[in-house]
Order: sequence, then structure tokens, then C-alpha cells
Amino acid sequence: MAEFAAWVESTSISKTLFGISWLWPASESLHFVGLCMLIGGAGLLDLRLMGLFRGLAIRHVKALMPWAIGGFLINAVTGALFLIMQPHLYLSSAVWWAKVAFLGIAGVNALFFETRLAVPALAMHPDADTTRTMKVIGAVSLFSWFAVLYCGRMLPYLGTGN
Amino acid sequence: MSFFQRLQNSAFTDWFLGSPSIWAYPTVLTLHTVGMAILVGASFVINLRVLQVSGLIPLHRLRPLYRFIWIGFTINLVSGLILFVTEAGARVVDPVFYVKMASIVVALALGGVVKRRAIDRTDAPQVATVQTRSLAAASLVMWTVAIVAGRLMAYLTK
Repeated sequence: MAEFAAWVESTSISKTLFGISWLWPASESLHFVGLCMLIGGAGLLDLRLMGLFRGLAIRHVKALMPWAIGGFLINAVTGALFLIMQPHLYLSSAVWWAKVAFLGIAGVNALFFETRLAVPALAMHPDADTTRTMKVIGAVSLFSWFAVLYCGRMLPYLGTGN
Repeated sequence: MSFFQRLQNSAFTDWFLGSPSIWAYPTVLTLHTVGMAILVGASFVINLRVLQVSGLIPLHRLRPLYRFIWIGFTINLVSGLILFVTEAGARVVDPVFYVKMASIVVALALGGVVKRRAIDRTDAPQVATVQTRSLAAASLVMWTVAIVAGRLMAYLTK
């Protein structure tokens, strides 16, 4: 993994991007804005799935998802930039791999919702309580996104390989 | 030596910044990010709804989100004060810090007006007036400015 990181850093794309002095701080700023869009939009849907915010129809809350997905895409792009510019900071870090694992959990969880729960959930009455499965899916999603945030922010301080 | 410089040079600062414990600086910094996600995330949702994104959500049903806004704000006020104390001498002369503080004050004030006009009244129209929508848009922009300024403080000043 260290060799792969060293190879990426030796490529001209990595060197060029890392040589743009404003790119790293600008990407970090966008990464923080993106996380607020993601946790705001997805978080409200998660809380509703957990049975809170009765009175909001799940199908109406879901209209926020393009913004949550937009935030995710901002963070995927800026995250990829960090990875290309300084791969050794991430690939050698157990915390970064934990972050990737929580991203995977959040992704599989969202896929499960979309394929198995979305139809009944979207049809629910605004005041209706959610099923036990929906509550679990909402809680797993909310926990995973905050775990992703925690791992990302703690990355420089928790057991880095550098 | 100024009051703020003395704060920055205190024994607390030495411990806070010098401690190898992850419960000192890293945890307070991470709490500041968690608080931001809750505070700004909830504010984004309310302002987007006022701007007719997810326009079918009844506006007054978003009132419980203000509890999250206050929780996030309290986390960040406390963690922010700790972070400020340990860098007080540098921050009081940092223009970017004042941009961040000013944009937070404006974002909160605009959010308060939006709340009174569009969210608090159960009889309020479900489509906010152009004026209220402009205030919501301005609040969104000010939160974004606050985040960017906060991040750039680490780069533009030492």
C-alpha cells in the first residue's frame, strides 16, 4: 500500500494538483459545506424513518435527497482530490479505512432502503409511525454518517501511519 | 502582554495543545465539526424548505428542528470558546476570525426572522413571500461563508 501511495504521488497529476496552493484549503472548505448538505438532508429523512418528526410525509422529506446527494458528490470529488494529492496520509491510516467501511455501511443501508423499503415508506401517512425495520435503517444511516465525519476529522490524530 | 495573549499562554493552553491525549484538542475540534453538521445541516434544511425545496413539507412541522439548531449551536459555542482561548492572542488580530463571527451572527439573526415569519405561525402561507425567501437564501449564504472562513483560519493566518 505504501508503494502504491508513493507511485500515485510520483505521477504528474498528483504533483500538479498538490502544487496548486489554494486547491487543498478550497477543497477542505467545500468538503465541510458538502457534509452539512448531506447530514442535513439525509439526517432529517433518517430521523423521520426512526419515527420522529411525525406530520412530515416521508415522500415529502425525500425531496431533499438531491441536495444530500449533491453534498455527497461534492465530498466524493474533494475527497478524491485529497487522496490523489497525498495518498500516504490515507492509505496507511486505519482510521481512514474505518471511514471507508462506514461509507460502505451507509451505502449498503441506503441501497436496502431504496430497493426494499422505499415503496411502503413513501406511501405512508404523514402522521404514521414507522416499522421496526425502517427505524433500524434510519438509525444505522444516521450513525454511519456521523461515524464517517468522526473518522475523517480524527484522521490526523488517531493512529495514523505517518 | 495583552489579556488575550495571556489567555493563549496559559497553563490550560499548554496542556490542551500539548497533551498527547485524543480527549484534549482532537476531541474538542471534532465536537466543533459535529456541532456544525447539526447546526448548519438543520439550518440548510429549513432555509431550503422556505425556498420551496421539498415544498410539500408543512412549514410549521419543521419547528422541532430548532431544538437541533440549539443543540448544535451550544456544542459549538462551548467547543469554540475553548478553541478560541487557546489561540486568543492570534485570533483577536485575525480578520478572517471576525468574518466568521460576523457571518454567524448574521446567519442566526436572519434565521430568527425566517422562523418568526414562516415557521412559527401555523396559519402562515405554505409558500413564503419573496422577501422571506430572500432572507432564507441570505442565511444559507452566510452559513456557507462562516464554514469557509472557519476552515481558512487555519491557512490564512498563523
